[in-house]
Amino acid sequence: MNTYWNPNQKWLARVNPSLKFLTIAAIFMIYLFVHNFNVMLVSSFAFFIFYLFCNGFSKKLSFWLVAMTFILSVFSASAMVFFGKGTHMLFEWHLITISIESMTRGLHLGLRTFVYGMLGLIFASTTEPVPFFYSVMQQLRIPPKYAYSFLAAFRLIPIMIEEYRIIRAAMKVRGMSEEKGLRAFYRRMKRYAIILLAQAIRRAQRIAVAMEAKQFSMVKKRTYYYQIGFSRYDVLFTCLILLIIIGSWIFSSYVPLTPYNNVLERSY
Amino acid sequence: MSKRLKLTDILVTIVIAIVFGLIYKISGPLYDIVKILGFQAEQLTYGIYFIAAPVAMLIIRKPGVALLAEVAAAMMEVLFAGSGGIINFYYGIIQGAFSEIIFLIFAYKKFNLPVTILSGLAAAVGSYILDYYYGDLVDLAGWNILLNVVFRFLGTIVISGFIAYFLVKALEKTGVTNLVRPASKDDYDVLNK
Amino acid sequence: MMSLTNREAFGVTDLRLVFPKEKDLFLKDLTFQYHQGEKILFLGPSGCGKSTLLQVLSGLIPNSIEIPIKTKDSRIPKRCGIIFQDPETQFCMPYVDEEIAFVLENQQVPKDDMKDLIDQYLTAVGLKLNHRHQLISTLSGGMKQRLAVASVLALKPDVLFLDEPTALLDPKGTEDLWKTVQTISKDKTLIIVEHKIDHVIDFVDRIVLFNFNGQIIADGPKELIFNQYKSELRQYGIWHPGIWEETFPEEEILKLPQEVSTDPRLILKNFRAYRGKQVKFEVSQFQINKGEWVAIVGENGAGKSTFIEGMMDLIKTKGDRIWKVKNEKDDVSFLFQNPEYQFVTDSVEEEMAFGLVIRGGEEEEIQLKVNDALRLFNLDHVRHLHPFQLSIGQKRRLSVASSIIHKPSVILLDEPTFGQDARNTFSLLRQFETMREEGTTLIMVTHEEEIVHRLATRKIRIHNGRIKSDEKTKRGMQLEGVVT
Repeated sequence: MNTYWNPNQKWLARVNPSLKFLTIAAIFMIYLFVHNFNVMLVSSFAFFIFYLFCNGFSKKLSFWLVAMTFILSVFSASAMVFFGKGTHMLFEWHLITISIESMTRGLHLGLRTFVYGMLGLIFASTTEPVPFFYSVMQQLRIPPKYAYSFLAAFRLIPIMIEEYRIIRAAMKVRGMSEEKGLRAFYRRMKRYAIILLAQAIRRAQRIAVAMEAKQFSMVKKRTYYYQIGFSRYDVLFTCLILLIIIGSWIFSSYVPLTPYNNVLERSY
Repeated sequence: MSKRLKLTDILVTIVIAIVFGLIYKISGPLYDIVKILGFQAEQLTYGIYFIAAPVAMLIIRKPGVALLAEVAAAMMEVLFAGSGGIINFYYGIIQGAFSEIIFLIFAYKKFNLPVTILSGLAAAVGSYILDYYYGDLVDLAGWNILLNVVFRFLGTIVISGFIAYFLVKALEKTGVTNLVRPASKDDYDVLNK
Repeated sequence: MMSLTNREAFGVTDLRLVFPKEKDLFLKDLTFQYHQGEKILFLGPSGCGKSTLLQVLSGLIPNSIEIPIKTKDSRIPKRCGIIFQDPETQFCMPYVDEEIAFVLENQQVPKDDMKDLIDQYLTAVGLKLNHRHQLISTLSGGMKQRLAVASVLALKPDVLFLDEPTALLDPKGTEDLWKTVQTISKDKTLIIVEHKIDHVIDFVDRIVLFNFNGQIIADGPKELIFNQYKSELRQYGIWHPGIWEETFPEEEILKLPQEVSTDPRLILKNFRAYRGKQVKFEVSQFQINKGEWVAIVGENGAGKSTFIEGMMDLIKTKGDRIWKVKNEKDDVSFLFQNPEYQFVTDSVEEEMAFGLVIRGGEEEEIQLKVNDALRLFNLDHVRHLHPFQLSIGQKRRLSVASSIIHKPSVILLDEPTFGQDARNTFSLLRQFETMREEGTTLIMVTHEEEIVHRLATRKIRIHNGRIKSDEKTKRGMQLEGVVT
């Protein structure tokens, strides 16, 4: 396998991207149906540790991303904690009704968001678009016209961001950014959207034409510059993930940290 | 004049999804701030998640475009956005599929305002399926669920219905939509004049 | 001609083409034939259909671009490569090697042969990189175009189509690209659409001249066309050697009525402009006066745009920035390189009026001014169109017109003549000179040496984020003599 992309990459970057993606997608489904608060608690901790040791970000960026994920998790819990149903009241004030049930359900929800957040960060920080799309073409048989379209479209992202900066400056120059109020805000957003969309559509069309001019669509079979395969890292990755999931179940059934084994139960 | 997606259609659809992804990222931090209150006010802007599908569909008018637009937006989140990645991937697929179904029901022949609104509403319905499993929504107090539903549908009608529709209308005036729409029989008839 | 029969012939007979939603044919019964090994240049006014014909000849229309066409006979070469105008939209991969590999993959070249071939093509176009695995986004426009040539070479084409490949390049990039094309095309057929013919003319042998209606009015050896169609070349806005001296003779310009003053318009002190957190331009003391035409020159990335965007406070700056005008917002205008970014309305008319409307004015008066401006800039016939629907030249004229309609006293321009044909360039420059004579200060980033030495009064060279030299041009010195 080619190791062009980043010389300092973590071992997770060498895991087959399709396998990594499918595994993480499967974990999402599994944890959707975990209602045991203890398991969620242990798993969150385990995935957090996994993230800390294996993510591909710099320390500073990593800190901020974890902080943001944490805040996001707290937010996702808030409605449930404050306004959830429940009978064992802890606190009541006007509309706010915090009960043991709403509290554990809310926290459970927050932890779930946190686990997914960690998974997302693990994937994003160790997966480059090019090997990812080469892998999905080779292992998952995704048609090349989709895979290369994604790669070509991603090339436009920095151009669009620069374009956004210029439009903002241009609005300032033309005196459009001084208008106040919701209407003006709507007009500005519409202007951004129209200019960005018009340019993006034109560029996308031109790129597609250029790709076809290079005989992209004429062939059914193709060779690949990068051959993405499997390695011992794939075994390691799969084992670690299984260890976390099964380990957290076993640990929780022997050493339950809290009495809440099922957050969906209506009363304790 | 085939209805199959060509390379241009695919690329343009993905790029449209990216544009909305960026606009959302740029104007989006508001969402997280109002969310902490717990009063579901953030749901008013939820429709922005659905807008890429109808806009791409109204421009390209071919089967699969709505689904692809949402998957593309989700893929971008998975590869670049980080923490919301894997969650948004599933939401993207479900929302895209529901949005697509509406256009399918109208046999990809109707692209007017009511159909656009319906497709947005369908996406909203789709999002509740995941919410049901994900967020234990049913365990919220009744008034809170009601607020959530009303706000989300209201926001959807405005954003991925009205705004999406009129945005495409405005875009048509710029002439770029002609680049991606197939030529009609009338156009071919001119050749024999 | 000799031995044409031995060589393969390509082309179209009686081509009809119509753009979707149009009622009239864009190309009508056009016939064009060529033979293997010919090196052909298409010339004609912008929008006349040369590029469209090129796309038909290469098979892009209708295979990849669905535009209705009809021909009696059409022979498209099997192996052909196309170089497009915009360096940003020819690639689908992030890295140089991956882009060429993409083409090799399409040809089903075995993986193990790819690296050698990639290096071979990169060498062929003279792209000397530290490593083949380099981000395309780090290349200059000119290098990107040469990469486009390299990736097209991977198609092993017999015929190369070049569709205004230098329109968005600076003079250095243009020269390098044509040198490259010349070396790689010895045994190939070339069909080129170009407005700037200085460098191409040396190696093409046949010229095809189109008129405004997309008809071929002349087709023959280059010497013949040049001698017999001089006035058409000028009328069609084609850049040819000597055109500057014909249009703005140096002697004449020095005789133009002049007025210059020493009133300052802009003063900068300890000025720094940032991109992100980095200082990208700095100057300790700087002044621009009323009626000056300041040309800002320098290499790509030297800090020219940063300088003028900093003057305008569009990016983060530090230090003193003092505009000696009544009201900075009204009296200082800025023109972006791409006019489309600054269009804020949905029609030409509204766009023209916008600057007056937001400054508050009587409706009737605004209407009068708008009508005048539309006529002056030859936009009257397109007043109801969306600005995005205009031609490149019209867009530029609209952006200039709408930025000066409220009569600012200073205008900052970022490469205003970039990508424009000769006719449009000269009409804009005349307009600028008129404004300058009325006392407007012009501050212009440009790559065009001719503008600098013929029209500008002052030349500032930027290098590495600093002013390397700041001097009066011949014209500027002359003007100093007549200070009033």
